[in-house]
Amino acid sequence: MSSLPSQELRKITRIILTCCALLAGLLLFSPCASRAQELPLYTQWINYTQDNGFPEGEVFSVTVDGNRVWAGTAHGLVLLENGQVKRVFTPADGLVGRAVMSIAVDKRTGDVWVGTFGGLSQYSGGQFKNYTNLSSGLANDLVYSVALQGQYVWVATAAGVNRLDTYSGAWTIFNEKNAPFDEPWSYSLALGKDKVYMGVWGGGVIVYDTANRSWRPYEDPDGEMEIVLYRNQGLIHQIVSGVTYNPDTDMFWASTYFGLSGYDGRNWHNYLTKDSGLASDFINAVKSRGNDVWACTDKGLSYLDYRTQTWVNYTPDPKSGRGEIEITAPDGKKRRIETSTSLAHNYILNMDFQGTDIWIATARGLSHGIRQPRKGEQLNASNKSRR
Amino acid sequence: MTLRSIRWLSAAAITVLVLGAGLGWRQSLRAGPAQRPDWTESTEPRYLTPVALQLSPNGQRLYVVCQDSNLLLAVDTHSQQVVERVKVGRKPAGIALSPDGNKLYVSSEWSNTISEIDADSFRVRRTLDSGWGPVGITTDRSGKVLYVANTQGDNVSLIDLTAGHEIKRLDAGRFPEYLARSRDGRFVYVSNLLARVATYDEPVVSELTVIDTTRQVVSQRVEVPGAIQLRHITEVPASAGGYLLVPFMRPKNMNPLIHLQQGWYLTHGLAVIRLEGNSEAPKARVAEVLLDDIDHYYADGMGAASTPDGRWVLVTASGANVVSVIDTAKLNSVLRQVPASNPEALANRLDSARQFVAQRLPTGRNPAAVVVSPDGCLAYIANRMDDTISVVDLRLLRVASTIDLGGPKEITAVRRGESLFFDARYSFQGQLACATCHPHIGLSDGLAWVLESPQLGRDVVENRTLLSIAQTSPYKWNGKNLDLATQDGPRTARYIFRSEGFSQSEVKDLVTFINSLRLSPNPHLASGGRLNESQSRGRAIFFRITTNDGRLIPPQKRCYYCHPPLTHYTSRVAMNVGTATRYDTIQSFDIPQIEGVYMRAPYLHNGEALSLEEIWTKFNPEDKHGITSDMDKVQLNDLIEYLKTL
Repeated sequence: MSSLPSQELRKITRIILTCCALLAGLLLFSPCASRAQELPLYTQWINYTQDNGFPEGEVFSVTVDGNRVWAGTAHGLVLLENGQVKRVFTPADGLVGRAVMSIAVDKRTGDVWVGTFGGLSQYSGGQFKNYTNLSSGLANDLVYSVALQGQYVWVATAAGVNRLDTYSGAWTIFNEKNAPFDEPWSYSLALGKDKVYMGVWGGGVIVYDTANRSWRPYEDPDGEMEIVLYRNQGLIHQIVSGVTYNPDTDMFWASTYFGLSGYDGRNWHNYLTKDSGLASDFINAVKSRGNDVWACTDKGLSYLDYRTQTWVNYTPDPKSGRGEIEITAPDGKKRRIETSTSLAHNYILNMDFQGTDIWIATARGLSHGIRQPRKGEQLNASNKSRR
Repeated sequence: MTLRSIRWLSAAAITVLVLGAGLGWRQSLRAGPAQRPDWTESTEPRYLTPVALQLSPNGQRLYVVCQDSNLLLAVDTHSQQVVERVKVGRKPAGIALSPDGNKLYVSSEWSNTISEIDADSFRVRRTLDSGWGPVGITTDRSGKVLYVANTQGDNVSLIDLTAGHEIKRLDAGRFPEYLARSRDGRFVYVSNLLARVATYDEPVVSELTVIDTTRQVVSQRVEVPGAIQLRHITEVPASAGGYLLVPFMRPKNMNPLIHLQQGWYLTHGLAVIRLEGNSEAPKARVAEVLLDDIDHYYADGMGAASTPDGRWVLVTASGANVVSVIDTAKLNSVLRQVPASNPEALANRLDSARQFVAQRLPTGRNPAAVVVSPDGCLAYIANRMDDTISVVDLRLLRVASTIDLGGPKEITAVRRGESLFFDARYSFQGQLACATCHPHIGLSDGLAWVLESPQLGRDVVENRTLLSIAQTSPYKWNGKNLDLATQDGPRTARYIFRSEGFSQSEVKDLVTFINSLRLSPNPHLASGGRLNESQSRGRAIFFRITTNDGRLIPPQKRCYYCHPPLTHYTSRVAMNVGTATRYDTIQSFDIPQIEGVYMRAPYLHNGEALSLEEIWTKFNPEDKHGITSDMDKVQLNDLIEYLKTL
């Protein structure tokens, strides 16, 4: 009789200990905890501004090509190699327009396609070949975005989306007359498998299936209202400034002037500042790879760890030059880290990846973000981008 | 004739014109674009017309591409007999040998294909698709990738020879014609026949495109100023200079043609191109020398080949029936006189060639490609119009023998005319042939010239194609030449050749030949001549009679009125479409036929429109050149896509 309680006690103790161990293990190795520790924090920034010889003013776009970085500025196209400004191309060099809005590098041919506010340029073998509304089939000289798909060059303009067949020279225009465009003002392009995603200012996201030549528009179910009546029921707003496709998650993301939207094929995932860690609802561009989503806002650079729903915002202090990293946990708790360097400006226009590094186009210069290494990790900013 | 009868006749004439145009429209709508006759259907004897050569690695076999017979021949160089022949695609143009010598590749310009031929069995192993109008061809050093110059596509196809399909196309310049692999295999060089599109008052600039074979990208576009028609490329070994030599023509198209003497109108020479820098920052130095002498010209440089040691370089003058043998040691001495600050110092000197040309050897008619044997003792020259090969003994610098390839012995009027077309001996000092300004057998050279006016810069006219111009009289932009016999006879003699020109019977033959010229198959048309959606919409615009808002378009403002399908898309009259400038004496210009218009930039009588779009976006502000101001950009694009199919 006396041994029973003791055996029972030992049994209970073993169960309790096993449960505790399992709980501890769950806590220690749960994805959330693990990811929270693995958040990619960018604590070191190198800025390229007018102060160190970079063109003044806005950097509208940035595109990484191995160890080369192309930046589209208000005063020309800048080529950086290994962190050094190698050349600034302007119309005097043959570039079709001074304000460079987008850059796409053709990995197959090595050609660089440059969208400007004066038309489209093809930089090939050290020379520019130009396409304008008057001299070619380009719909409009305000070129906001360029994307390359084999022999085709997709061009987003203020008068619809163009497709140039580089083999035949044929231009095709997609606009309100032959596609579901509410507005022709096309801001952004992204390519998926057999799909072209078009971000249209005032017209939502339009997806063109190149395999079966069909269209699918995605619009804000609230119409053009600037409030969100039905969260996660559709695109967050009609005014789409950027679109990106993430092949790792098979999702596309749209940045709007009134929030961020992601679509996984079944459900929408929308974010606003009021209910997330997003720095601002006014977003100029979005990029995504792996579980990472980056939003280029007017109030800093926002990062979303999509799996853990953890947010990280990067903002500079214009007076001190120091920066602040704000981390918002899924439960809304915030913590802040101060950094000695920061972004060149809080108005973020675009970004691209270079291995584990990031390049950020801001309203006042280009910023190179170097990720803080995790414990025991070797960082690599080589050309082996994960894109 | 009474006023009433004149009115009646005028009304009848207009009715016939409109009915004719309408009939053409209806027929065109019913039948789609007219199918051009296949030139191989001709009942003429099938001449061989050797255009490209390749030697086997041991020099025992000479492979000869025969353009007019669609054949590749193998000649035993010892017996000098044709020992093998194999059928390839239509209008074969270029040849390459695999690095192991086992496979031959022949490009066929009118089939858009490459025939891979087993060198031993001399049978076609497979046929590969290329881009449009393939001519020049070479493998990379490994033999895994084939580079093909697509003349009609303005690009170079890279074909994976293991997979057997094209992997990419790289943009070249305009009308890339010939290719050469560098001696170290790091680069493929591409010569472009036509200069970059520019307005007539801009200096002419041509391009040598350089492809990095490691990265398979265009690494450099070398500008060759003042020159057009870059032809075969040969690389002189480093021990003899280490540069590329490329035959060219230097036009001075803004000088009035009365200045034919002393090189004031055009000259023929070589671009000397030194590639410098590294792959990250490639550079090039370009010098230019002339092959002409002050009192005699060596028109239309075409083939170029260096001996293995680089001592001699042979350059064929296809209009002079001569091969110039260049002593590179002496050429290097001459080149040393060129200051770095003025690379064009010798570009206009007619006293240079005598310093470095060791020998001018006579060839057969219209010599094209030239190759040198691996031991450097012999050179072989394809005589295009003779169906022969000239064999040059390089030890003695003389023609040792001529190999008869066995073409038809009967010489037809077309063939006689073709020979005349290429022959510069009929012009003053042998300066130019018809082919000089109409290269690649009848193309336009893409330049505007001052042909008749003695006044500098006045009455500039764009050169016009000779392809498919039969039944499109009158000729010239002012429409003064009512027939080709007038154009090619007394007018050519008086205003262009500045000589006695051709005899009457020769003019007849030449006209017969020119009338036989046909456009190549149109790559913008799908097989069967079907139009795609954009082209179909464009055709509807071409034949429309109302504007977008329903207003009736006056007949003379409709596309098909001036460009009716039944008469090769020209109504064969002069029309004022508002394109005359203050430098033009006349206001109305002959309406050109627009078949093959996709390959004819620039446009309008003076070449001011650099693209088809510019005809209407820049030079039709008052809707005189058809009613187009109501059209949106989609419609204009559609119209242009249709025009490209003609």
